[in-house]
Amino acid sequence: MDPDSPEPSGSLKLPKLPDLKLPKIAVTREKALAAAGTAVFVVVVAFVGGAILFNYTADQQVAAFHSHVSASEADLSQISGKITAHMRTPTNDLSVAECDAHVREFAAIANYGRDVTAYHRRIVSADTVPEAYAGAQSAYVRALDNLNRAFTFWSSAAGAYAVQDYNAANRNIAEADAAWRDYAAAITDYDRELRAAEEGAEVPPRLDEVLLRDGDDDLEGFQ
Amino acid sequence: MEWKDVIPVIAGAVVILVVALVVKPALLGEPIGLVSHGSVPAGDPPVYVSSAPVPTPTPFVDDGEACTRNFRWTAIDGGVRTTQVTVPEALFLAHRGTPRFSDYNSWGRYALADTDRPILEDLARRIAPPTANPDEGYFRLMNLVFFVQQIPYDKDDNATSYTEGVLPRHAIYMKDGVEYPKYPVEMLVDGRGDCEDAAILMGGLLDALGYDTVLLRYSDHMALGIRMNEFNPYYAKYTPKYFTYGGKHYYYVEGTDFKWGNVSVGSTAIWGRPLAIGDTSGTGIPSVRSETPQIVPLRYVPEPGEYRIRSARLPAGGA
Repeated sequence: MDPDSPEPSGSLKLPKLPDLKLPKIAVTREKALAAAGTAVFVVVVAFVGGAILFNYTADQQVAAFHSHVSASEADLSQISGKITAHMRTPTNDLSVAECDAHVREFAAIANYGRDVTAYHRRIVSADTVPEAYAGAQSAYVRALDNLNRAFTFWSSAAGAYAVQDYNAANRNIAEADAAWRDYAAAITDYDRELRAAEEGAEVPPRLDEVLLRDGDDDLEGFQ
Repeated sequence: MEWKDVIPVIAGAVVILVVALVVKPALLGEPIGLVSHGSVPAGDPPVYVSSAPVPTPTPFVDDGEACTRNFRWTAIDGGVRTTQVTVPEALFLAHRGTPRFSDYNSWGRYALADTDRPILEDLARRIAPPTANPDEGYFRLMNLVFFVQQIPYDKDDNATSYTEGVLPRHAIYMKDGVEYPKYPVEMLVDGRGDCEDAAILMGGLLDALGYDTVLLRYSDHMALGIRMNEFNPYYAKYTPKYFTYGGKHYYYVEGTDFKWGNVSVGSTAIWGRPLAIGDTSGTGIPSVRSETPQIVPLRYVPEPGEYRIRSARLPAGGA
């Protein structure tokens, strides 16, 4: 009996491994080059495509960030115009009714500023930006937060004036001034972060950080 | 390689793209396709709502009942003058029915009350008539000061300080007495008042003539500060006292305590001596000589020191 041809009803017989033979593939030089070329082509296409897609997405993100900051700045510019006009109004010869109307206008500007900054803060903070722009985005959101706080204090000051609590009004104005200075500092940070993102440079340290570090050095010198 | 081998690869790629660009954004609520994930529904942009215009005050009719009081006073030239003041009774009663501000910081509103303004302007014109000679400006000012200084002093606690003979229902009862800052026309109708009433009336009259004044608040007294660039008259035997507020000099002016004295011992005739501008030593009030007063402007509006919005640079690469 041929061991390689077992009977159907007979016992199972394993083939002998040494007798297995791989089918012979006829590889020619042309076919090998074509396969390698195809593989390289696929890898290159995938890499280039991925890079293009990544850049496209990053550009889209920066464009969206630009658009949102631009819209925010346009609205803030309008508010700035209203504030400037309001602050230029002389108050040294107003009647009581005119003083009250002046403060109501102040309150209207404050409420509008508070709503506008909250609105743009929601939009800008939701932007997905490339990592390089994260610092700029964070600083801009912080600036809007501080401005929102300043406008809220303005609104509170106007409310205190309405009930003739002038001490409370003055306290709120002092708080608003402090928030406004924080806003200015945040805008400075934003400009620095944005420049660093666009130039691909290291973010220079903030002035207060430098001063703090210098102060530490001085302290160490005295120890 | 044949087409039948490529089709599954392409189908797989299409499935991955559909999942990445459509299914995942749809599940996470993100915008579908190759757009930024930053856009969020933020609602409608805020709209500016302007404040209401200045309401026109309702004038008090002159043809109704009126309160009249005559004043006899000595002007700066030594002449005795008489002045009659008429106030609509409805205005006087409206003031009497108005609750008072317990916070003295808002007492400047009494001096500038819109309803009292026409009466104060008329009175100021009669006491200190307009003149083309600028040298007479000082005399006009002093006549107003003298007029107020000669209105008899009476404390808020005394029923005699009120024309009705009883304390007003809105008098503020405090641990050390009663406080009732009067509107200018209330003091004119009552014909009496205390230090803050005189300072408020004088402030209203001087404001009607265009002078810039503030209230000077001491621990137990109130006077007026009048803005002057330089006040150092050759005749003054004292250094005129002023206080700086907002970079301006406000000279002390006493509203009460016209110096009265008998002409001679045993005589009932009296003479008076005014308290000059800037003279704090003549008042005889210790707090005026020792304290630095709190300055209360007649007009107050909240004025922020910081209000400039800085324009931020836009990111490059935008639309």
